[in-house]
Amino acid sequence: MSTHPSSPAAPMTSLVSAKKKAQLLPTQAFQAKLFHWINLISLIIMTASGLQIYNANPVFGGRAGWHFPDLFLLGGWLAGGRKWHFAAMWFFSLNLLWYGVYVFVSRRWQRRYASASDLQVLQTGQNPKRKNYAWHRVAYTAIIPVLLLAILSGLAMYKPAQFHWLSALFINWQTLRTVHFITVPVVLLFTLAHSFLALKVGNFRLVKSMFT
Amino acid sequence: MGLILPQSGLSRRRLLQISGLSGMGVLMGGCGTSLFADRVGQTFEPLNQIVEEALLSQNPVPEFSSSAIEPDQLLINTFDMTPQLDPLQFRLTIDGEVGRPMQLSMADIQAIPLTSMVIRHVCVEGWAAIVQWGGVRLQDLIQLAQPKPGARYVYFKSADGYYESWDLASSVHPQTLMAYQKNGQPLPIENGAPLRLAAPIKLGYKQSKWVTQITLVNELLPTKGYWEDFGYEWFGGI
Repeated sequence: MSTHPSSPAAPMTSLVSAKKKAQLLPTQAFQAKLFHWINLISLIIMTASGLQIYNANPVFGGRAGWHFPDLFLLGGWLAGGRKWHFAAMWFFSLNLLWYGVYVFVSRRWQRRYASASDLQVLQTGQNPKRKNYAWHRVAYTAIIPVLLLAILSGLAMYKPAQFHWLSALFINWQTLRTVHFITVPVVLLFTLAHSFLALKVGNFRLVKSMFT
Repeated sequence: MGLILPQSGLSRRRLLQISGLSGMGVLMGGCGTSLFADRVGQTFEPLNQIVEEALLSQNPVPEFSSSAIEPDQLLINTFDMTPQLDPLQFRLTIDGEVGRPMQLSMADIQAIPLTSMVIRHVCVEGWAAIVQWGGVRLQDLIQLAQPKPGARYVYFKSADGYYESWDLASSVHPQTLMAYQKNGQPLPIENGAPLRLAAPIKLGYKQSKWVTQITLVNELLPTKGYWEDFGYEWFGGI
């Protein structure tokens, strides 16, 4: 590195700031990155094939009901949609399972998820940055039961005879179908909120750190 | 380009990531054909079938009360035409890997004790209906015909050309019926009169209507069922 002798401060400053920047770059556990990748891809497949299945007999309105356009569908027809759906279900649910075990065993759940202090900040906090941080933690904590609900309602519909006790929890068939379907817009809205809040909390470098 | 791209040091990387995501969309759009779905099914359906076979038990599925019956929810699905069968001329053939092949009239079948059940009929399309079915247990018919030890599958031939095949375990489930009654009334023609399959443990397309022949076999044939041969799952257990 060649520096101009008359301005020794310039390279010093940039060196310090580069070092500082390197320290500030967020890093993520490999497990968290792997979970995010598999979750994102399997959820895209689950949703697109799920809408294909939906179209065979729309939850709202039956055969005469509104159908999703081909653009959002995967599988070509009902049988193809089912094949994708019942293949991706393994990746989606087992991914959630191993990550849940990891979060529990690594005690990540104690410091990485919404806590009482986050809720307190949201009620009485004055620091907008701390509030965004709390909102973000609340958002990604709250999606966990929704993902579990997607699996449980799906299982209740996939095997309603063998898991009759599970199906019975959803009152009736229409309610069961509706609950399973509603997880799609909820997860979609969550993905938008999660991305938006991550950008607010840590800019694009935080989002990047989770996927690279 | 400068107008739509954010002016930041990360714009190029971001562009690559966004184009990567949309590239995935194009890829998946191309894979949206049923051809690629068939490959996915060939890979994962064997695993799903192992799970379905493991979940199947010979215990009866809990039934619903008569007041829960949903007469308007049971839609009519038929791949082709509705055959008109004369119940007096009708004969059910049971043959294949059995010691006593037989032909039964409706009178013969109705002489066997009636089993009634109120169960949920689940269609692959996503709708379901709580229905009462009355008829004879398929296990009783199979016992009458004295199945040979090697028999593992059961084929059902229908008067409209529809055909199906089931695993033996599902066929002898206590709630797998050859039904001639629906919701307390004689089975309507459009629902499969005079005799149809009805069970709570399989999807609707497995439950053939207008069944005329039941054949026990040792191995599955290349043709497994009308919809299965187009690509639907063979086991279809629920």
